Amino acid sequence: MVDISGKSRNIWVIVLSLVFAGVLAIVPIPLWLALWRPDWIALTLIYWVIALPHRIGMVAAWLVGLLVDVLEGTLLGLHAIVLMMSAYIALTLYQRLRMFTPLQQSLTILMLIGAGQLLIFWVQAATGQNTADNLAFVLSSMTSALLWPLVFVCLRFCRRSFNVG
Amino acid sequence: MGLALLSLVLMFADSRFDFLGRVRYYIAIVVTPLHLMADLPSRTSDAFHNFFKTRTDLEDDNLRLQDEMLMLQFKLQKLDHLDAENQRLNELLKATYIIDDVAVRAQLLGESPDPFSKRVIINKGSNEGVFIGQPVIDAHGLMGQVVQVEPLTSWVLLITDPLHATPVQVNRNGLRAIAAGTSDILHQLMLENVSITADIQVGDELVTSGLDQRLPAGYPVGVVSSVKNDPGQSFANIKVTPSAQLDRSRNVLLLFSSAESKAARAAAKIEASGNALQPTPHVEGRQ
Repeated sequence: MVDISGKSRNIWVIVLSLVFAGVLAIVPIPLWLALWRPDWIALTLIYWVIALPHRIGMVAAWLVGLLVDVLEGTLLGLHAIVLMMSAYIALTLYQRLRMFTPLQQSLTILMLIGAGQLLIFWVQAATGQNTADNLAFVLSSMTSALLWPLVFVCLRFCRRSFNVG
Repeated sequence: MGLALLSLVLMFADSRFDFLGRVRYYIAIVVTPLHLMADLPSRTSDAFHNFFKTRTDLEDDNLRLQDEMLMLQFKLQKLDHLDAENQRLNELLKATYIIDDVAVRAQLLGESPDPFSKRVIINKGSNEGVFIGQPVIDAHGLMGQVVQVEPLTSWVLLITDPLHATPVQVNRNGLRAIAAGTSDILHQLMLENVSITADIQVGDELVTSGLDQRLPAGYPVGVVSSVKNDPGQSFANIKVTPSAQLDRSRNVLLLFSSAESKAARAAAKIEASGNALQPTPHVEGRQ
């Protein structure tokens, strides 16, 4: 399945999936739903890290994170470091993650994205960008975990049908 | 590891200094198409609606708009007169009169995906001369100010964001106060440090006072929705509902104050000639 020596094939599928995730991340939705909006970009990135760890690693995650910071108007470098840490954990876990049942995978994703959200919350609270005094930000990681199997199946279908490697 | 350090440095620099604005500006060129794409569904549905409007709908709209225009023109007649009178009075008081602001229409492209931060993105950027600190209004009142400019888009901090505070004045009696945004998920403002004896009632209209020398004076900000006086507290708890339709308006107006640009030009001239005089960018005529 993994072609270590070969050149990268059809990288544009990865780029396109990340662009699509980016659009989903900023598309305007009602306020009550916005709390539940899953972290599409992190989900997509984690999938590609697990599927193609030799192509998509921490550097790619950092670059994507920098773009997310500009896209969402957050502190420059915040999403960069958070996505890079998620990618790092996913890189160390990818062999186990591939063996996990969907439920176990979802729980791992919950932890991964929840930790990322917590870090974002901390930094934003420290710099005065976010003054929310509740834990509502964890809702987003819950929906992310719930939607993970769906994202996984969709992206696996894309990867197989376009033979991304 | 290096990248982690770099992002820490970036975060520190971005929260403390201004120079990363340029970096953001250039990265934004890559990212702006995503905002346009995210806006596409609502724009196509708008176009769809417009295309399939029936003739009777259009006629109804036309009638309603003509009625509205008549009423507005009627109000405008009085306003012209009042405006002239106001200027005459200001001249008597030897104050410079307020020059009319110039407004440019812009459209909302999206809002911040973070539900706790009240920011919106609009479809005008530095290419159209948008600048940081520029006031943004909608048809009903003040919405916020521009905090970040990109080539084709710019971010507007709404007045209800906890980071934003608006200097206001009660229309009824001229009492000055500061309306700060709240971390409440709904759009709401609080009046800060108003003593419990202050004359503020439910239903009072608040307008900008212009004392920050940034937002022009006289634009509606909100209406007082509740006043709670707790005898144990030294300040009253006053909530304000914003006048602008912060969660509904798609068409917004960017204000270019002609007085401001003139003041800027004058400042440049004075600096060039080595004179230390400071021109006042905005003179309040209300008090």
